[in-house]
Amino acid sequence: MAQMWITMGPQHPMTHGLWTLRVKVDGETVVDTEAELGYIHRGVEKIAESRDFTQITPYCDRLCYVSAMTWANSYIYAAEDLLEVEVPERAEYIRLISAECQRLASHLMWLGAYGPDIGSLTLMTWCMRDREMFLDLLQELGGSRMHYNYPRIGGVKRDIPVGFANRLVAKVKLFEKRIEEYEMMLDESTIWLVRLQGVGYANAEDMVNAGVSGPNIRAAGVNYDARWAHPYSVYDQVDWEPAVEKPTSVKGADCYDRYRVRMEEMRQSCRMILDAIEKIPGGKNTNYSNGDEMILAKAPTRAPEGATGFSNYECTRGASKFYIQGGGDGRGKNPYRLSIRSPMFITIPYVAKTMIGYKVADIPAIMGSFDPCIGETDR
Amino acid sequence: MGMRVSNEQSDSAAESCVAILSKRFGGSDVISTVEHHSNAFKMAFVRIHCPPQHWPAVAKSLRFDHGANYCSMVTGTHYPEGNEDRGWEVVYHLMRQPVVDQKPFTNTVHVASELTGSDIPLEFEILVALPQGDEPSVPSVQSVWVGADWNEKETWDLVGIRFEGHENMHRVLNPHDSPEGFHPLQKQHKLRYHDYNEMYDDAQGFGRKPTDEGRVK
Repeated sequence: MAQMWITMGPQHPMTHGLWTLRVKVDGETVVDTEAELGYIHRGVEKIAESRDFTQITPYCDRLCYVSAMTWANSYIYAAEDLLEVEVPERAEYIRLISAECQRLASHLMWLGAYGPDIGSLTLMTWCMRDREMFLDLLQELGGSRMHYNYPRIGGVKRDIPVGFANRLVAKVKLFEKRIEEYEMMLDESTIWLVRLQGVGYANAEDMVNAGVSGPNIRAAGVNYDARWAHPYSVYDQVDWEPAVEKPTSVKGADCYDRYRVRMEEMRQSCRMILDAIEKIPGGKNTNYSNGDEMILAKAPTRAPEGATGFSNYECTRGASKFYIQGGGDGRGKNPYRLSIRSPMFITIPYVAKTMIGYKVADIPAIMGSFDPCIGETDR
Repeated sequence: MGMRVSNEQSDSAAESCVAILSKRFGGSDVISTVEHHSNAFKMAFVRIHCPPQHWPAVAKSLRFDHGANYCSMVTGTHYPEGNEDRGWEVVYHLMRQPVVDQKPFTNTVHVASELTGSDIPLEFEILVALPQGDEPSVPSVQSVWVGADWNEKETWDLVGIRFEGHENMHRVLNPHDSPEGFHPLQKQHKLRYHDYNEMYDDAQGFGRKPTDEGRVK
């Protein structure tokens, strides 16, 4: 049978966003692939060159619409490196809690979107139900469901509200039981196992060389997590272990390993949140006024020419990095150049190549297991 | 309990790395130093100033002698008002990610405080300054790290720095039919409608024309 090219996307349920996967097929087998990105390129890097350092945070929120808090935090750590700011410890705890809540919400969004890819529409409704709990918590902090603009250079916008700690603990404890429900449903479902196991192998060495990061390499047994390897925040003070999966095959991690590692990460996030809310300095119910030095340190607004800032941040999808050069317009009020490293921009071309040799029906299972997000890919 | 790589570990890893690099590239213009971040834990990293002609040799040395197995980002910058030797700059950020095997059937992983020598995660920042001119170019390291491939594509697409020896270079974020020579992050391209006074005088923007009208579609 003759080989032919099929175009999947930009409007296709497999893509989880706007991009095109061109697939060359021989019958039902994938022979070659090509990824085309750039459909929602907004030019954030260029826009940032004409904005103050404080004005850039909302743009970073919008880089990834399911993981806004972690992206804003990632930018904030780079800006603090540039402006040399010391952050109060209470603010670091609040950032940790907010980032881990966001990680739970983002992984739930991933699981919810991955279910229909495999054929389990129930999963979508369950995950959306639980994600709403964490969006409510984040709304209490930032005032909005998706784009919070919550972290500030030198701390956070405002303290945790009265009663937040109790609601947080209740919801996280409830969710810890829900994870078991998910596992009961998925790990014993024949369809789920048949579609995921033995599909989409990706080798650890290859992935590191190709620049894949985050849960995707931890699924293949690489214990690399920026939260301990390039530490920031107070991850060394709370109780957790990096979630690393030991793949069962020499060919590397399959889709099932990547699903398992994300479930384990959700467990670890719950563990971190519950521990952090107990250890938070200043007490879990104290309410400081906006701009109090316990939650927001004074920070300079200008960066001199030649100063640079860089952040290593463990975002929900992998290593998100910002590189900022000071000394732009307005006598250093703007960055001269702001560069964003998106984990998914590097991962999507790699995943497109790992599909070669599998069947066309496996494409949604393989693509979905890497958790693509196009907002951050195209920037 | 959580863990992290301590400052002493990252200091010692960076220092031993710089010592070897200085010995290996001592006579040339490759200058390597230990620097520290100024946020959070003030972790150490290795900064290398490297002229473009030595970059492939330095890259191979980092990859195979120092274990920098991860090319995390490539940043190009345009300095139209800089001096003659630094009209453009390419910054590479590399990481060392130790691929350590772990025991089967455990979810516990190796302990950060027990890592030594080349197993300690480390960050490298390589600055390659390019002279003024319309055609900046730097040798490609696509063959050293697969991960550099799309990073370099993006840098060419947005900044316009040519990567010598890069295979299959094409537009990734800009439209595929963008005019040749159009690279939006070069400094001669100004943001349209970024003038605040203009915004107040003509809030709806009916009387405004883009500053680069006719040159960009």
